[in-house]
Amino acid sequence: MNSEMINPNETLTIRNLTVDFGGVRAVNDVTMSVQKGELVGLIGPNGAGKTTVFNLITNAFPPTSGQIMLNGKSILGVSPDQICRLGISRTFQNIRLFPQMTAYENVELGFHSVPHYSIAEAFIRTPRATRIEKDTHKKAFELLEIVNLKEHCDERASSLPYGLQRRLEMARAMAASPQLLLLDEPAAGMNEDECKDLIKLIRLIHETMKYTIIMIEHHMNVVMDLCRGYRIYVLSLGSLLAIGTPSEIQNNPQVIKAYLGERKNA
Amino acid sequence: MELFLQQLISGISIGAIYSLLAVGYALVYSVYNFTNWAFDAFMAFGAFMALTAISSFFLPFWAAMVVSIILTIILSVSVEKLAYSPLRRRKAPRLFMMISAMGVNLAIVNMINLVFGGIYRKFPIEKVQPIFIGNVSIGRTDLIAGILSFGVLGLLWLFLYRTRWGLGIRASAIDILTASLMGINNDAVAFTIFAITGMLSSVAGVFYGIKYAVFPLMGVVTIKAMIASIIGGLGSLPGAIVGSMILGILETLVSGYISSSYRDLFSFLFLIIVLLFFPNGLMGKSGEEKL
Amino acid sequence: MGYINAILILGGINVIASLGVAILTGYTGLFTIGHAGFMALGGYMSAIMVKELNIPFPLALLIGGVFAGLCSFIIGYPAFRSRLRGDYFAIATLGFAESIRLLLNNTKVLGGLKLGGAFGYMNIPTHTDVYAIVLIVIGALYFAHMFVTSQYGKNCIAISQDEVAAEMMGVNLMKTKLTALFISAFYCGIAGGLLGMYFAYLSPSFFTTVPSAGLLAAVVFGGIQSLIGPFITAFILVLVPELLRSFAEWRLIIYGFLFVIVMIFRPQGLLGYVEMNFTFVHVFWNKIFHRNQTGASEG
Repeated sequence: MNSEMINPNETLTIRNLTVDFGGVRAVNDVTMSVQKGELVGLIGPNGAGKTTVFNLITNAFPPTSGQIMLNGKSILGVSPDQICRLGISRTFQNIRLFPQMTAYENVELGFHSVPHYSIAEAFIRTPRATRIEKDTHKKAFELLEIVNLKEHCDERASSLPYGLQRRLEMARAMAASPQLLLLDEPAAGMNEDECKDLIKLIRLIHETMKYTIIMIEHHMNVVMDLCRGYRIYVLSLGSLLAIGTPSEIQNNPQVIKAYLGERKNA
Repeated sequence: MELFLQQLISGISIGAIYSLLAVGYALVYSVYNFTNWAFDAFMAFGAFMALTAISSFFLPFWAAMVVSIILTIILSVSVEKLAYSPLRRRKAPRLFMMISAMGVNLAIVNMINLVFGGIYRKFPIEKVQPIFIGNVSIGRTDLIAGILSFGVLGLLWLFLYRTRWGLGIRASAIDILTASLMGINNDAVAFTIFAITGMLSSVAGVFYGIKYAVFPLMGVVTIKAMIASIIGGLGSLPGAIVGSMILGILETLVSGYISSSYRDLFSFLFLIIVLLFFPNGLMGKSGEEKL
Repeated sequence: MGYINAILILGGINVIASLGVAILTGYTGLFTIGHAGFMALGGYMSAIMVKELNIPFPLALLIGGVFAGLCSFIIGYPAFRSRLRGDYFAIATLGFAESIRLLLNNTKVLGGLKLGGAFGYMNIPTHTDVYAIVLIVIGALYFAHMFVTSQYGKNCIAISQDEVAAEMMGVNLMKTKLTALFISAFYCGIAGGLLGMYFAYLSPSFFTTVPSAGLLAAVVFGGIQSLIGPFITAFILVLVPELLRSFAEWRLIIYGFLFVIVMIFRPQGLLGYVEMNFTFVHVFWNKIFHRNQTGASEG
């Protein structure tokens, strides 16, 4: 591991990442580097392996080979909950909210996934524990406010409309206080107006919370808009096809070819 | 030496019975991801049906076996339709499916108890002379049980690996959603899997009944099969067989050389030790979830 | 009068054990059919403490509970470690409970102690009375409530609803599950201790899968993610068999059918997800002590 070659500002370093499932190579020799504060796009046709990359980063399963480093330190083999504590948080392609918990409770979980007081204090709720809970309560509401879900705070997550669920997942991910936020298709299923609002929201949280963000997305206008000034990685069939600025990618013939047969604004 | 061989053969024959159950268990688990507690009940049901066919209806053994298989398949498939598929359709959490399965088990086992009573019955076939190889006696029934069990497993293998329908089942075991998108009918898959389960458990029930006795709680031996399946690697069918054979042989050796009362305790401890060193079983796939 | 006494005591014991299972199964989503095993462990241990070592009743109960809790790691640690989730544990609970019963059945004497094997452990001093039961039940309910409303409890609930997502959001699955398991085993251990010191006698035959199924039934009928629900049904499940003695053989058959029916038609049971809130108690308490309310609704 050549840690001396890694820029200390580099939040995420992926080198030669490969994963095989049985006979299928889902991710093939992918190398990525994301600097602190960037808003990087990860695009590609369906089945390109984008979500698999996210799964590898969060160690849903181990890679067959390759390196993944957070701030220069390898996070291979680190358990997913530990990875979250180290600062990587995510949303899911298929939305994985806690269905019977309210919107508020979902977000709150992000804060207390590692409890802030001892178990003894849980049984005998000390003033300190109560204070901690009130504090968490306040912070959770602040997040709900930012994603505009405050009025729905007491509704069951499963009963929320799809678009709101996506926003809620983002809020929950933010509650885990990440440095690196992995967004998996945040705009899926949204119409144009909703996309516009989403772009505003992501830009807002990017600028105010100073997250480093990697975003998988199919909505090209969302990606091109948000990643202006940053880079986009294009995956196809598990391999890196291209890396570049939004305009470079848009004019890249190979990228266009990879998407041929698919609508550009899927 | 003779004692060892004796135990070995006995172990193989019980391992064969465990294999039937373990494969049935692993099949359901690999496709539906839950423990079918009702397995217990199916096994006892199969045994009692065969017993009744012979003692009350005077059917010959083979006919009774067939009757038992058919009836258990009907039971198994009905249970699936009534108690599991409503939950499956709703994508109910695994916990709910297991509770339902446990409910089925409690109801059926206790109904059997109510109807037949808890006494241990001998399976009504004539005592046959064991075969002797040297000084080692091999129970004829053990031999038949072993051969038949492996025969059944062989047939199952043929079905799963050499027929199109079997391919559909295997595909469902990997990913039932994708399989259904490929055109495989989920209901037909459920029917097939539970029919297979029913068949396996009734055959196992009959052989177990012959080897030991028939009683309502006899299904409790399915936990050995579950343990064997875990040891072999949950979800892996070959693993289930390997685990069953290992467990059957080891446990019989323990029973013969150490103490028969601690046989079950050994099986459980063996499970714990295997899990400690092989978290995914000896041959298991590490079942990651689709994210 | 003695009859009502018996119902209260046995009902209370069932409630305590059921609350333990509620925490593990109702709140953390972990199926168990073996918690009678923890009752046995706690029962025998506290009985031994009182009978042989003359340890005071409350302390003996605690020791029994802690002992049962520690033993739970034997199945918890290997079962929760593997990444293949859920079913190792369920099977292990069954195997564990049966192993405990087997061990006790076959152990007539243990290091000088006459445990009696299948004949049972006899002449246990009787300390369990209604006052003790009421006190302990209240305590059990209170602490269970404290746990499930705490950050620990909420992590358990998250695990029960989507374990993978919980882990990715930072919840340590192993630690959280082991905690819930320990508490459930502790509760059952205490219940077992109370049982032994009520009957003055303990036998391995008390701790088969039948009582384990009964505990599960209390939680299934009472409601997932509820404490008051299992509290109520645990009592009913002691009362009803008494009232319907003639139907004793049908009891388990009925439970079995009810499990299926409840799962299909009303999986949340009697009071699942909608905890008969202590909020009104909280509000009252806060008003008395002039504290500000903590806000968002529970359950």
